[in-house]
Amino acid sequence: MSRLVLVRREQAVSGGQPLAFLIGIVTALLIGILLLVISGHDPMAVYERMFDSSLGSPRSWSITLNRAVPLGLAGLAVAVAGSMGLWNIGAEGQILAGAIMAAWIARIGEGWPSPILITIMLLASILGGALLGLGPAVAKAQIGVNEIITTLMLNEVALRLLQWLIHGPWKDPESRGFPLAPILPDEARLPDLFERAHWGAVIALIVIALFGLVASRTAWGYELRVAGSSGETAKYAGISLKRKIMTVLVLSGGIAGLAGGIELSGNADRIVEGISAGYGFAGIIVAALALMRPSGVAAVALLFGAVQVGGLSIQTMGVSSSVSTILQALILFGAIGAGVFSKYSIKRVGKEQKSNAGGMA
Amino acid sequence: MVPAIELKGITKRFPGVLANDNVNLTVEEGEIHAVCGENGAGKSTLMKILYGMQPADEGTMNLFGEPHTFNSPNEAIDAGIGMVHQHFMLANQLTVLENVILGAEPTKQGGLIDFDTASKHLEEVGKAYGLTVDPFDLVESLEVGERQRVEIIKVLFRGAKILIFDEPTAVLVPQEVEELFRNMRELKANGATIIFIDHKLEEVLEIADTITVLRQGKTVATVKPADVSATDLAELMVGSELPTPQITDAKISDTIGITLDNVTVLDEDERPIVDAVSLEIRQGEILGIAGVEGNGQRELVGAILGTQKISDGSIFLMGDDISNKSVRSRRENGLGYIPQDRQEEGLLLTAPLWENAALGHQTAKPFSGGWNQWFIDREGSRSQTERIRREFDVRTPNVDVSAHALSGGNQQKLIVGREMVSEPSVLVASHPTRGIDVGAQASVWEQIRQARSNGLATLLISADLDELIGLSDVIVVMFRGRIVAQLNPSEITPRSLGAYMTGATSEENPA
Repeated sequence: MSRLVLVRREQAVSGGQPLAFLIGIVTALLIGILLLVISGHDPMAVYERMFDSSLGSPRSWSITLNRAVPLGLAGLAVAVAGSMGLWNIGAEGQILAGAIMAAWIARIGEGWPSPILITIMLLASILGGALLGLGPAVAKAQIGVNEIITTLMLNEVALRLLQWLIHGPWKDPESRGFPLAPILPDEARLPDLFERAHWGAVIALIVIALFGLVASRTAWGYELRVAGSSGETAKYAGISLKRKIMTVLVLSGGIAGLAGGIELSGNADRIVEGISAGYGFAGIIVAALALMRPSGVAAVALLFGAVQVGGLSIQTMGVSSSVSTILQALILFGAIGAGVFSKYSIKRVGKEQKSNAGGMA
Repeated sequence: MVPAIELKGITKRFPGVLANDNVNLTVEEGEIHAVCGENGAGKSTLMKILYGMQPADEGTMNLFGEPHTFNSPNEAIDAGIGMVHQHFMLANQLTVLENVILGAEPTKQGGLIDFDTASKHLEEVGKAYGLTVDPFDLVESLEVGERQRVEIIKVLFRGAKILIFDEPTAVLVPQEVEELFRNMRELKANGATIIFIDHKLEEVLEIADTITVLRQGKTVATVKPADVSATDLAELMVGSELPTPQITDAKISDTIGITLDNVTVLDEDERPIVDAVSLEIRQGEILGIAGVEGNGQRELVGAILGTQKISDGSIFLMGDDISNKSVRSRRENGLGYIPQDRQEEGLLLTAPLWENAALGHQTAKPFSGGWNQWFIDREGSRSQTERIRREFDVRTPNVDVSAHALSGGNQQKLIVGREMVSEPSVLVASHPTRGIDVGAQASVWEQIRQARSNGLATLLISADLDELIGLSDVIVVMFRGRIVAQLNPSEITPRSLGAYMTGATSEENPA
């Protein structure tokens, strides 16, 4: 009996990444055809719709971009912590905290000139997310409390706070009893970039690029990498782990908070419970698929956004949401998973092994 | 008799390095064959080829007369070759039995693991080779020597007839080494063939039946231990006359580099682990600390470096009180450090050499600083690393390879170079030559000597008593956190020093 094993290539195939990416998507689409035929749809029509709605025109690009912005920032937030080996599972709550702070500024800043109002809103949203990150940061740095648990639990806290606000103090008197906050004034809206895309895309790209630069080129980023790969080495190199943990978790929260501020100011017309739509959790996937690298985060977020937009639009053709979700997962998995083949090759192993590679290689 | 292993003309090239150059090795069945050479001589590469982890570029391999080529360790295992790794590959939370069968689990119907058969087989293997260990003990509860025995059993369990021991003594204390050698002789008596990789000459001479010496990727000699002395062997390995650790002139100045005044460090139970230690090291002086490991040396180093909080006393670096300063500020103010565990504390194994050269100096020129002080100066870092590579003889194809590609000796030379080029005024060297070969060792000694004559104040901690006696201007002995003796190295021998270290004699009560 023969079996297949993955063998690491001595040298990565040059230009292999884009090629693997394409092959992966094509494979996923081929498998998807099977899925669509079984569920009774015309695969070509579905794919056409999927592409048209997400990447087929400037307008669809703009919709995709709007999705990619919170995904990218949430992904970056997770990746910032991840580059030091920390897991921020609280991006979802931090997005809400950012949105709450931005909404609060919009309430008290009535009549301020638009650029000033928006700037302060976004700064406040960073502060909001950072504040939510501060607790886990202090607990982790000072007494070593697992940040996964604290950040995760704070998601719930942020959500309850938001619910209380829109059911109580922030409830719109004209909402006829519905738990709705008032609609934001026009001055609090991020201006449009093109079609339906707003300036959030530019802000997100700058933030991601900035962090990429800081991480790869500065002494601070260097120390971050040292701390992430070996705590002992970092200690002896004069790097304070406590301080690094603090900064990283607070920064991570701030970036997620900014996603909430941009989402409110750019995409939503008022603050609602579902303002984040799970971006914080999707951000974990984005960061993991991007291998915690900022450059990867932007690309993965864009792909993720496009797939989400396409997946939503085919539901209007009668494709059930579960089929659409499987399709989305297939494409993401294919596109990113295939990258592994530029570094590894598949090899057929002749006879059956008495012992397998586990633990011995 | 057909040899168990016959390697002929093995050549292996890596980018920029010829790791094995036409190597020949013949191992007879049932012998202990030592392969020795400096770090980087090509021992590991040769073993990786034999064990199927890497293919050879040229050459042939015969096992018991049959030609073989291995594409993976699994094929080598099937052919009866087993590797006892230097760094244990054991799961601490599992029992001995579970570790031994890991990856080769015997199963019964329904895919369940057949523990009964497994433990029976384990017992047979243990009996056949005279190795005993309780199969139901958790690995985490075992001593280092016992863990190694588990590694050996693991290999035997898979039917290995030829065992490769990769520097097995590096992790053991002397008593455990004796135990290991007993086990190896037992294995031999029961028909196993053993390849023993090492660079400790006394050990090789004690255990081996045949010795093959590699130097710079080539086989230079195959000898019988009876025909050579340790010095002969060392010269074969290095290819030249051997240096000894010795300092010549004394140019100790009056300026004090570092002062420890009554320094006390408490452990978790509030007991003093460093107990009121006072020391002074002047510029151009090497102060050696002798002591059995675990008598507070590590904590003392931590206190000087700033990773360990001191509960009492104070430390002065070039006259400035640094007792409450951060690690960074101490290092920026001229404190150099050669860590005792270079892989855990001294290097980023997956990062390129030039990033490693910046470790601990990342906030100073030429690694960063200048007009854009926030940024790492990549060009500056690279050229600094090139300088270290040149001046400290770090053998590497270039400064962009990652640190784990270097042999232990070259890693250590990189660390020593990194600390020395920053021109510290005080150096803490903790076991600076532990686990490296004689060539690299000589080079590290030479660097420390050089720095001393340039006025460096050095605190040297070492378990190698010859090194301590040879390099130090003055030796103090640490015992249970206290300094129990101050000795003149020219008047003592390793033996008398050993008596102080175990507390058998003290200055108040000389033997």
